[in-house]
Amino acid sequence: MIEARDVSVAIGGKRIVTDVDFTARPGEIAAIVGPNGSGKTTFLKALSGDLPFSGTVDINGRDLAAMKPVEAATARAVLPQATTLSFPFTVREVVRLGLVGGRSGVLPGENERLPERALARVDLDGFAGRFYQELSGGEQQRVQLARVLCQVWAPVLDGKPRYLFLDEPVSSLDIKHQLIIMNIARDFARRGGGVIAILHDLNLTAMYADRVFVMHRGRLAADGSPQEVLSDDLIEKVFDCRLRVGVLPAANMPFVLPQSAV
Amino acid sequence: MVDQSIAGAAGKLVAEGDRSGRARLVILLLCLVLALSMFLSLTSGASDASAVGVIRDWLTGVVPANAALGARDRLIVYDIRMPRVLLGVLIGAALAVSGAVMQGLFRNPLADPGLIGVSAGSSLGAVAVIVLGTSWLAPLTLALGSMALPIAAFCGGLAVTLVLYRVATRQGRTSVATMLLAGIALAALAMALTGILIFMADDRQLRDLTFWQLGSLGGATWPKIASVGPIIVLALAAMPFMARGLNALALGEATAGHLGIPVQRLKYTAIVSVSAAVGASVAVSGGIGFVGIVVPHLLRLLIGPDNRYLLPASALLGASMLLLADAVARVIVAPAELPIGIVTAIAGAPFFLWILLRKRGVIDL
Repeated sequence: MIEARDVSVAIGGKRIVTDVDFTARPGEIAAIVGPNGSGKTTFLKALSGDLPFSGTVDINGRDLAAMKPVEAATARAVLPQATTLSFPFTVREVVRLGLVGGRSGVLPGENERLPERALARVDLDGFAGRFYQELSGGEQQRVQLARVLCQVWAPVLDGKPRYLFLDEPVSSLDIKHQLIIMNIARDFARRGGGVIAILHDLNLTAMYADRVFVMHRGRLAADGSPQEVLSDDLIEKVFDCRLRVGVLPAANMPFVLPQSAV
Repeated sequence: MVDQSIAGAAGKLVAEGDRSGRARLVILLLCLVLALSMFLSLTSGASDASAVGVIRDWLTGVVPANAALGARDRLIVYDIRMPRVLLGVLIGAALAVSGAVMQGLFRNPLADPGLIGVSAGSSLGAVAVIVLGTSWLAPLTLALGSMALPIAAFCGGLAVTLVLYRVATRQGRTSVATMLLAGIALAALAMALTGILIFMADDRQLRDLTFWQLGSLGGATWPKIASVGPIIVLALAAMPFMARGLNALALGEATAGHLGIPVQRLKYTAIVSVSAAVGASVAVSGGIGFVGIVVPHLLRLLIGPDNRYLLPASALLGASMLLLADAVARVIVAPAELPIGIVTAIAGAPFFLWILLRKRGVIDL
């Protein structure tokens, strides 16, 4: 379990995140939603140990502040919003970097096969020999996810759950790959791991999240199951946009929801 | 697509996109190239002394009385050429690996100790000891003896690198433009201070300084190797431990940390060992430019940017290239000799321009 208590983050003297309580349980996908600039990414960076914060974060009962980089890398893997690469690595070499510090959890002899298996999972079979910098944005994002999957390949290691931190994992993906990636996250949770994902698509959130945390102006505005949280009032208050949940558009207007995927 | 010709020849055992097999092969070939360069460097020179004779003497284990080599040739080979070859190997390896580590640290293929002022800082330290060694800095030179020069050069290089890193890196992101511009400023400052020292120098020191600054392996002696060799070897020995961390750093500092790399420690190890290696090199041979940028760049084209292979390959190719440049420097105007820094600059500067042309669209200033 990941437990954050009273987490506040200030950058350059400005409060970005204020007193956020947050819990992510193994077996669940915890989605963080909220408008642009509401502090979602800053909060996730605090959880990842990238930014100094006040308050406490425990991962599986251990204080994050006391964990060495390699211990944190064994407990969780982080997918940033975007990753630039400074040298011409091949896709396989990038994915293999996931194995650099932590423990994948497979037998040592199988590690060499992991990059190919991870690439196959994110639907990038046959991309191993391509240069990362020559791929499209969506393909690069999936390569990074494959790298992150290598790092915590086994969702449970030594009896302890491990976690995926995903910052907008589907933001630059087409609908097919959005579903593939969200299914990977759900599968990771079902096998005993935990997932924390920042999402913008409320339909995907409703479909996949077990628990939703809504952030608004750096504070937690609501949390609970999608049914409890996604209401007309909350959406209007947080997103400053009058929308109604569960209303069909006019009869001649086509609409496509991810929930309809078969 | 990655050229798979070598991998293909080895059969389908090699995973696509995995260049480690090819890298190992290249490293093996580079070992041969280095051995050949050392032999060439040992046997060539203004004198006709036969190094082959020396080697035959070793192999047959003859006593000096009936050795194949005369006393004069033994002197030339053992006391002039051999330390020179060894120094060339040490310095070539140090400069090339320092370049590769610096590029990994700054996440940019243009970072080079010579370009961004590290060598200028080392020069300042070294010139300070040469000029002020008998006056203001007398206690230092007395206490450290022959180590004073390399240690002062190390401190100068370290100071520049630390300031540079502080200035160019904000919140884990290193700005290339800031790095290059700050490097220019720091180099100018170091050179101005060096200029003041040169102004203070007497005529004898002046001539020494001028030739030393152009860069040369000419003054190689066993005592010099004894004073800088250990520093360079130590610095080189630290570098393989940084390889995996530098690979992860290519994804950015935050991501390297997420992957379990102790980023802060890695950065300081890299800065200290690069400063030590460059400082020691500058102390004995002056400013030899472009080795640190040309060698890693060529190797990245050949085997990719994986530092586990790039660092040792850079050491081998850097050593070989410096020995060859030194051979050219010795032969081209024999019996005089050209400062080796001129040779590496004439070959390296156009190469650097070529990199800029090729990458024009990619380098984001």
